[in-house]
Amino acid sequence: MAHRLEVNGQWHDVDASPDTPLLWVLRDQLSLTGTKFGCGLGICGACTIEVAGRAARACQIALGEVAGSSIRTVEGLSADGDHPVQRAWLAEDVAQCGFCQPGMLMEAACLLAARRDVSDRDIDEALRDHVCRCGTYQRIRRAVHRAAGISR
Amino acid sequence: VTTRRAFLRTTSLTGAVLLLDIGKDAVAASPAASFTPIAHVRIDTDGTTTLFVDKVEMGQGVRTSLATILAEELDADWTRVRVETAQPGSAFPNMHTAGSGSVSDAWRGLRQAGASARAMLVAAAARTWRVPAASCRTEAGAVFHDASGRRLDYGRLSSRAAQVLVPAKAPLKTESEFRIVGRPRLRVDGPAIVTGTALYAADIRIPGLKFATLVRCPVEGGTLRSWDAAEARARPGVRGVLAISNGVAVVADCTWAALKGREALRVEWNPGRNAGFSTAALREERLAAARRGGTVARDDGDVAGAFKNAAQVLEAEYEDAYQAHASVETLACVADVSAERCEIWVGTQSPNRARSIAAEVCGLPEERVVVHVTLLGGAFGRRIANDFVREAVEIAKLVRSPVQLLWTRGDDTHHDYFHPAQNHVVRAALDATGALVGLQHSAADSSLTMFGEPDRNDPETFQHWGAHDNPYAIPALRTDLALFDSPVRTGAWRSVAYPPSVFARESFIDEIAHATRRDAVELRRGLLSEPRMAQIPGGRPLDRHRLRRVLEEAAERSGWGSPLPAGRGRGIACNAYHRSTCVAQAAEVTASLGQLRIDRIVSVVDCGTVVNPLGAAGQVESAIAWGLTAALKSEITIRNGRVEQSSYRDYPVLRIDEMPEVEVHFVHTPDAPARGLGEQCVPTVAPAVMNALFAATGRRVRRLPYRSIA
Repeated sequence: MAHRLEVNGQWHDVDASPDTPLLWVLRDQLSLTGTKFGCGLGICGACTIEVAGRAARACQIALGEVAGSSIRTVEGLSADGDHPVQRAWLAEDVAQCGFCQPGMLMEAACLLAARRDVSDRDIDEALRDHVCRCGTYQRIRRAVHRAAGISR
Repeated sequence: VTTRRAFLRTTSLTGAVLLLDIGKDAVAASPAASFTPIAHVRIDTDGTTTLFVDKVEMGQGVRTSLATILAEELDADWTRVRVETAQPGSAFPNMHTAGSGSVSDAWRGLRQAGASARAMLVAAAARTWRVPAASCRTEAGAVFHDASGRRLDYGRLSSRAAQVLVPAKAPLKTESEFRIVGRPRLRVDGPAIVTGTALYAADIRIPGLKFATLVRCPVEGGTLRSWDAAEARARPGVRGVLAISNGVAVVADCTWAALKGREALRVEWNPGRNAGFSTAALREERLAAARRGGTVARDDGDVAGAFKNAAQVLEAEYEDAYQAHASVETLACVADVSAERCEIWVGTQSPNRARSIAAEVCGLPEERVVVHVTLLGGAFGRRIANDFVREAVEIAKLVRSPVQLLWTRGDDTHHDYFHPAQNHVVRAALDATGALVGLQHSAADSSLTMFGEPDRNDPETFQHWGAHDNPYAIPALRTDLALFDSPVRTGAWRSVAYPPSVFARESFIDEIAHATRRDAVELRRGLLSEPRMAQIPGGRPLDRHRLRRVLEEAAERSGWGSPLPAGRGRGIACNAYHRSTCVAQAAEVTASLGQLRIDRIVSVVDCGTVVNPLGAAGQVESAIAWGLTAALKSEITIRNGRVEQSSYRDYPVLRIDEMPEVEVHFVHTPDAPARGLGEQCVPTVAPAVMNALFAATGRRVRRLPYRSIA
């Protein structure tokens, strides 16, 4: 069954069963592998993307639910890697193994798109459903604050 | 294209051994050929310098730190440096990445290689200018002759340099000459990571790729009894269902189809001899063994006499739990097998071993196997094992098209090589003044199946990390180990056997301090004074003053001794990791209504020369998160041979709202060798935190993970 999807500003026709999680459509059909598989249960946050302006878990959204929605993945965060969260992440040297970071970046981008005055508490609340096994949390906090400054 | 080959290899086991191997095609090389003085360095004629890192990147920053070390001795222009991960093979025979050894090994081997390459470039310039080599200097990818104001870029020297004999021992820089080492340097993989273009094994997309998932026996050691694939085969997108040595694989057009096919697959197992195993029952045996005592590995002074004549004897029991690695990236491997060759893409800590396994499975010589090492989305010791590589290659061999095997979160949790739980019993003999005159530290642990059978005739087997290398000057000290054969898969885990031992030792020192009304820092300082060198059987001596120095600095920087409000407490712990890197950590916690919050952890570390302060501090922060997860959050239990946890839901790990404020300080010792740092800051986390909890509440936690009493 064909579904029309807008991903990172481009329309795609996807032939897959409507119950297919968006995660596998992105990764296996569209080869957008920046969105990661970590658990498939919606509890690690590695597959976080933006759907209609809000952060969402790609492993928990069925393809049939998002037909016609505007979807953004880490690959579409900016043309040249210069989105404020990307710049801030680099400046704070956040990443270690890097695997969870696309999900973190998408969550942070959605948080800052909604509001720019964020406290440590706001950051913790937005990102507490994300796992970073390397424990880069302290630098993530710093980077979100820095990105908030760049956004302004 | 590299046609000229003058290889210079370093063997990391023995350090700075250099092997010169000029390829047969060297003479025939064109003048425009790029310069490959050693397998680790390629300088193209435009000056682009490619550094091949022969250790794998799993978050520890090795692609950045080894490139930094090499670029320093080479005097490369960092802006023209490209970093590539090497491929296992004859040029790179030891890519095994474990035990926090990469930087310390590179300090002995890779530095020398960089210096030799630089000497060859200098010799080439000196020959061109007809001046003595000693009158030339190098900087940022060029050779200079200041007396005549001349300069030649490395790129322009590359073809001539390849004709220079590789010097066996070129002089190394001293710290005052460093331009790159010791400066904060951003991770080289950062830009790829933040744009989502960094590649992990599951991100490989090649033409014709199929996607596979594998059902394994839930009990370790069980065997396949029967399987019915009719329903699975009928699912859309499923291309095949096949049995391999370790289970039944479903191969499909996409991951989702493979997962749905797997759901429809019916498999029966013979669970085998471990069907009755439980971690709870083993715990009882282990505790009894620790109380009985095991094989003695260290026996200093008159322990029996010390306890016989003691004015007071203290005793306490400590333990921790089975733990998983729980990397966010589950295991994955892409394999493409034909009759002539095999190609794999994988994030493994043992690439050379992965290559031999693939060759063995395919029945091919190793030369026909190409291993592309991707980034690793976390590893922490789990990926020393290549079980998932064997599975992927077996599937690809049967399917005859490229296949990606992906482990689910459940697979990853159930079929880990776990950190085994340990039990410890520690006894102290105190004299009438309260001085510590005797200590007996008994541990009970399980062998690590990842490394095969332990050699019980080797005394080292019983030198239990953290107990055996007790750094303190105690007149009578005995350590012993009761070692169990593990019926479940066990393996290396960040800092391996150290955390429970150091938890026991450093908690017990705190208990002694409280029992004898002494300050925990003062007590340790006294035990780290004289004699300065600790003679520990089975290895080099430890300079106790290095450990004392980090302890004193951690106390000072944490405000040790200054008053805290009610409900808050401070605790400290220190450790010398394999008599090398020294760490002290001071924790500050708040305890209220049974809830424990970690406010702050101050770490002071002596790891010798710090190659990259930014990356090094990250390793300390990371180790603290790791230590806190094991101390406060997670536990693996096994019942009827089956692992009871399946995901981050029942195996929780530290989250951002639980991360304390972390402060990291490095002790500077001029011209000290660079030492390991990936694991070294894990073991002291739990005792520092639990000692702080005791200071705050009077509650002594001796069993990990911490359980709230509220």
